[in-house]
Amino acid sequence: MDCTSARELFTDRRRGHLEPAIARDLDAHLAGCDACRRELTRDDALTSALERLPRPAAPIGLERALREKWVPPSRPARSRVRWGAALVAAAAIAAGGAVVVHQTAMRSDAMVAEAINDHLRVLYSEHPLEVESGGPHQVKPWFSGKVDFAPVTAFGGDADFPLQGGAVAYFVDRKAATYVFKRRLHVITLFIFPSDGLPWPSLGLRPLGRARAHVETSRGFHTILWRDGDLGYALVSDVDEGDLFTLALRIVGG
Amino acid sequence: MNDRARSSQREAALSHVDGLFRLARRLTGTDADAEDLVQDTFARAFDASARFEEGTDLRAWLFRILRNAYIDTYRRARRSPIDAGVDTDDAASPSPGDPLRGDDDLERLRSLVADDIEAALARLSPDARTIVLLDLEGFTERELAIVLGCAVGTVKSRLARARATLRSLLCDYGS
Repeated sequence: MDCTSARELFTDRRRGHLEPAIARDLDAHLAGCDACRRELTRDDALTSALERLPRPAAPIGLERALREKWVPPSRPARSRVRWGAALVAAAAIAAGGAVVVHQTAMRSDAMVAEAINDHLRVLYSEHPLEVESGGPHQVKPWFSGKVDFAPVTAFGGDADFPLQGGAVAYFVDRKAATYVFKRRLHVITLFIFPSDGLPWPSLGLRPLGRARAHVETSRGFHTILWRDGDLGYALVSDVDEGDLFTLALRIVGG
Repeated sequence: MNDRARSSQREAALSHVDGLFRLARRLTGTDADAEDLVQDTFARAFDASARFEEGTDLRAWLFRILRNAYIDTYRRARRSPIDAGVDTDDAASPSPGDPLRGDDDLERLRSLVADDIEAALARLSPDARTIVLLDLEGFTERELAIVLGCAVGTVKSRLARARATLRSLLCDYGS
């Protein structure tokens, strides 16, 4: 056994994986080779040094966020059923003139849940983009003929929020023009869709340029909902809420 | 794959989150970037879960995704240690015929504190760091080959070179 072969066995020796015959050959080599003996001592010292490294666990919030996001695909479908149930319940409450605050909370939850589930479908789709971005002038015209409205956005991506591309998705019962942006490694989804007939939140709205927005955090995702003329907007991501609001302002052109 | 199998796969994958975070932390250098990288890893894993074959090594598969996600993101996004690190495939490592550098080096190795080791690790190329750290986590050579996308027969020599290079770098630290 030469020195090179002997030293390549150090890892197996450290792990106790050497077969007896090979272990005997290695021991025989080490007995007669001062250089390899010292090399082995240093290798053991390196292992001891590495074992002194701290072994931090993942932050608690990370596993929680992964657990919430990494939902089986069937879960959004169940959410769609819950959405339907929420609408029925909201309608029943409205018809009975029940407590307005309760009604609004249910509607808000339903809109936000829909936006998050649609975002998850984008996130976990094998092919989330039907058109890759070469800039806003490539993505926006692509929607022509694919949705029955012209999506309006003052923002087509920049270095802070690069536009990745677009696709057509569904928001509740209607087609939505879907824009996908990125912020570092975070995916941000913007849905633009006709706003009529949806239970938009009306309480606690924040100024957003010329619009007023509902901002809510649920299941680790921030969602911003607003209306502008006949169109509705839902912006969803797990990116920092301040960053998401900055992007919303750029989209509104405020 | 049915819901139960998918749920079971998710739980199995989540059981590796600590190890994934540790490697991500030592590849990216910050907690925030490490969290982003792990999230990206899980998003990619979920996206590809239909292609994951039952009975294959989930742990190695996840770490391979993390390594590829790191390379995709950081090689494109910035000048990073991936460009500046010591690539052990090319770096000169002590050969068996080299004269011994004396027992002082051994004493330095024994006196190192965690910060010294972290600093030296950061000077290795990402793949060298990965192979050293995953070896420490108990990965087999077959698993390391999956993670690094190389032949099993290559792992042993790459690991030996990476450790030799790290040891050489560590001699610059310590008392």
